[in-house]
Amino acid sequence: MNTKDRDRKAGRGSPPVGDTNASRTREVRASLEIVDPGYRLPGYWERFHATVMERTAFELARRRRLARESVAAVLSGWSRSLIPVAAAAAVVAAFLVGSEVRYAADAAPPLVLEDVLAAEIEDGALQGVVGGQVPANPVAFMALVEGNVP
Amino acid sequence: MKDHSDAELVSQARAGDGESFGELVLRYQRPAYSVALSVIGRHQDAEDAAQESFMVALERLDECRNPARFAGWLLAIVRNRSRNLIRRESLRRGDEIPASASSSGPSPERAADISALRGRLTEALSTLSEVQREIVLLHDLEGWKHAEIAERLGMPSGTVRSHLHFARKALRVQLSEWKDYGKGL
Repeated sequence: MNTKDRDRKAGRGSPPVGDTNASRTREVRASLEIVDPGYRLPGYWERFHATVMERTAFELARRRRLARESVAAVLSGWSRSLIPVAAAAAVVAAFLVGSEVRYAADAAPPLVLEDVLAAEIEDGALQGVVGGQVPANPVAFMALVEGNVP
Repeated sequence: MKDHSDAELVSQARAGDGESFGELVLRYQRPAYSVALSVIGRHQDAEDAAQESFMVALERLDECRNPARFAGWLLAIVRNRSRNLIRRESLRRGDEIPASASSSGPSPERAADISALRGRLTEALSTLSEVQREIVLLHDLEGWKHAEIAERLGMPSGTVRSHLHFARKALRVQLSEWKDYGKGL
C-alpha cells in the first residue's frame, strides 16, 4: 500500500498550503515506509504468509481431525444412549398396554344414551310412542309419559 | 473469503479451515510485524515474533473469547511474545534491519541512502516509548484509524491521538537533524 492509498484509507486529505507541520507529518509517514520490509524486499509479505501457513499446517490438520472426531463422537454418543432409552420405552409401552387391557376387562358396561333417556318412563308410554299412538295434545302426551293415565 | 468478518474466519479456523486462517494472517501480518518491531526494534526478531505469534494464536484460538475482536487479541499476543523475546538471554544482538536487497532493488547509491535513512529512522523510533512506536507504526505505516487503534489496543481514542502527536513531534525533531532526510526517496 503506498502513502496515497494509506492516506485515503485513513480519511486524511491534503494539508492546507503552508501548513509545515502537516507537511512534515506527511514526510514522517513517507519515511516510515522504509521500515516496512516489503519496501526493499519484493514478495516479502507473500513469503511471510507462506511461512506462517507452513508452520501452522500441522495444527490446522490436528484441528480438522479433532472436528471430524467430535462429530463422530456425538453420533456415537447418541447411538449409545438411544438403545437403553428405546428399551425403556418398550417396557413402559408394554406395561401401559397390559394395564389398559385389564382395565377394560374390569370396567362396568358403558352407559347407552337411549337407556338413560328411557329410564323411569312407563312401559305403556314407550309402547304407545313406538306404536305410533301418541296423543296430539302435549298435556295428554306428558301425562302419558309420566304415567298419569286418566 | 475477503468479505467474511473476523468472527466468521475465527470460527472456521477453529475447525481447522486453512483458507480462513490464511485470510486472518493476510489481514494482520503487517500490523503484527509493526507491533513486534515497535517492541523489539530489530527486523529479524520482529519477524520471528510475529510469525510465532500466529502459531500461538492458532493453538490458543479457543481461548479467544470475543472473535470479533481477534485483532486486539492477536496484537496482545504479539506484544507479550516480543517482550519475552527481549527478556531471553539468547536474544541476538546487532542484527539491525538488514540492508541487503534483492537484485532487482535500487542502485547501490540509492540503497546506501535508504540504508542510512533506515538507520536514522530506527534510531529515531528507539527514542519513543513502546506504545508511541506501536501507535505511530500502526497509524502511519499500516494506515489504521485512531478508532481502530484505540479499540484494538484497548485505550481511549484521545490517548491514541495524544501518543501519535508526541511520537510524530519527536520523530520530526530527530529526522530534521538529518539534513538530507527523505530526499530522493
